[in-house]
Amino acid sequence: RVPASLKTTRAVMDKFKTVLNIANQQTNLGIGMVALLTAGGEQIFSSVVFKCPCSQELNFVYGIVFLLVPALALLLLGYIISKKTWKLLTGLCCPRKGRSCSWRRLFATGTVLFQISTTALVAPSSWIAVALLNGNYFECAMTGVNASKARLCGGKASAELCQKELFRFPCGRGISGVPDADKDDVLLTLRAQSQILGWLLIASIMLSNLLLGCMARCASPISYLQLKFWRMYAQQESCMIDSFSAKHAKELAERNLKSFFNGTPPEDIKTPSNKDWEKISSLYKFSAKDHYYSTLHRYVERHKLSLHMRHFNKAER
Amino acid sequence: MQKLPADTMDNFQTVLRFFLNQKATIGYSFMALLTIGGERIFTLVSFQCPCNHDQNFAYGLTFLLGPAAVLLVLGLFFSTKLWRLYTGCCLNPMKLSFTSIFTGACVAPIMWLCVALLNGTFYECAVSGLDDNLVVDLFCKNKTMKCREELARVPCDRSKLSSDERMELLLMFRAQSQILGWSLIIIAAVVGLLGTCYTNCRSKVSYLQLTFWKRYVEKEKERFDAYAMDYATKLAERNLQSFFENKAPEAFPFPSHKAWEEISAHYTFSRSEQCYSTLQRCVERTDRETPPEKRPVLDSEYGMEMH
Repeated sequence: RVPASLKTTRAVMDKFKTVLNIANQQTNLGIGMVALLTAGGEQIFSSVVFKCPCSQELNFVYGIVFLLVPALALLLLGYIISKKTWKLLTGLCCPRKGRSCSWRRLFATGTVLFQISTTALVAPSSWIAVALLNGNYFECAMTGVNASKARLCGGKASAELCQKELFRFPCGRGISGVPDADKDDVLLTLRAQSQILGWLLIASIMLSNLLLGCMARCASPISYLQLKFWRMYAQQESCMIDSFSAKHAKELAERNLKSFFNGTPPEDIKTPSNKDWEKISSLYKFSAKDHYYSTLHRYVERHKLSLHMRHFNKAER
Repeated sequence: MQKLPADTMDNFQTVLRFFLNQKATIGYSFMALLTIGGERIFTLVSFQCPCNHDQNFAYGLTFLLGPAAVLLVLGLFFSTKLWRLYTGCCLNPMKLSFTSIFTGACVAPIMWLCVALLNGTFYECAVSGLDDNLVVDLFCKNKTMKCREELARVPCDRSKLSSDERMELLLMFRAQSQILGWSLIIIAAVVGLLGTCYTNCRSKVSYLQLTFWKRYVEKEKERFDAYAMDYATKLAERNLQSFFENKAPEAFPFPSHKAWEEISAHYTFSRSEQCYSTLQRCVERTDRETPPEKRPVLDSEYGMEMH
């Protein structure tokens, strides 16, 4: 009898796995979840970790680092997590016979890189957009820039003192000489600029995504329902290849270990050759002429005849 | 644990069934609640009028129109009709009807605009930054001279005007904003009603058959997903088994490209047929060709790959 605690742990892990699965797929729901999670993470980060140093030399660098470096880290993480990157990169450096470096292959590689980038760019752009909407980083960065001092402090009664003490503004009240009203004015102006920039970024990214999505869908060689089916098939195949590989690996390992420890010759086992593996590892591009749904499918169908012949020859012998 | 009495369970079931039947209404009310909640959160957390002559208008307008644009794009992204029309349209350019797609996607942005205008905060910030002499004269009629210069600072607490005058201006702005919001709601409701009446008038079938048709389309979509998943699983299993065990794969029926394209097209009801969707039409056609059995032939390309 399974104890209740183990059951609940298993249920929680299952739910977590489902959530990860959804986030990893390129569906609208997955992308929305990633964006929301990044927004939440940014809010927590900015309230707990960020403290503007309020120094003339460091403000700008500190603000820009907090704005851009986590975005870069999220971008790299996005590239690392996507399976397509590894499928593209594995074995790219070893030149193989028969695989010429043609323009068509370069173009295909470029298209795949572009696809991976569009998904990987969701988290960094959410980070930057939410950070700009918040206003803290921009405020801190801009108070350290010499060029904007005159524009921000201009027209105020305490203009000179304001310009001199500008880098101290994000840190709090009680700055000698500059009245609180002027300080609040400057900070509000900076915050407003940051928020306008953030909204413009969000709107332009969404519009460009929509246009790119429309263009990509327009150029697709197959219709909507078939595309939907293709995605389902690709997902099922990638799930099942893991379980099939695990099962086969276990069988092969058992056979090898039994032969080693017992000193007996190994039994015959059917395993795919190197060439077979290579054939199914390239990325698949749908063409209107065939009705194959993946490289594995194409390989299996094309080898039908040769496998028939092989069986026939074996039977004859 | 005591078992709940039978009639309570029955009531619960009835209530649940009622809610499940009203999916569309619930969906829209949920969207309205989400928009209201989002707008409240925005105002509390994010929105702070800069009270600055140059920036007020741009700031207020960005906060009014930015979320509306984002909601519009999100609505378009989630509309399956748009993608159904656009997928593969380069190969087969057909008449794209934008009106029905846009009306669906426009609901959320209009809700946002109405709620934001009814609140009044964004509008008063935007309008207090206006530079136009005509508008400022209109607002500052019968007021002191300082009204002009301090107009931009009215939404914050820091203007040098007397508190009465400030209150007057704020109330006027809020009233204008709310009138604008209500007019938008009424116009949207009237246009929606007229549109629905028009489409229903033009429908080729009676009301009950139309309801049945909608239900059929829904069910077909649901069952399509289940069937396609099942078919994809079987196909993947068959391919993987053939690969790992190095044996020939069994025969498997595939719908042809043309068949897929036919059922992806948008369906318009026609009186001569008794079909409720493109799928039914494709299946019931008497001259439907069976997909040719693809025999794998060793062609020259395959021969080259062997080396």
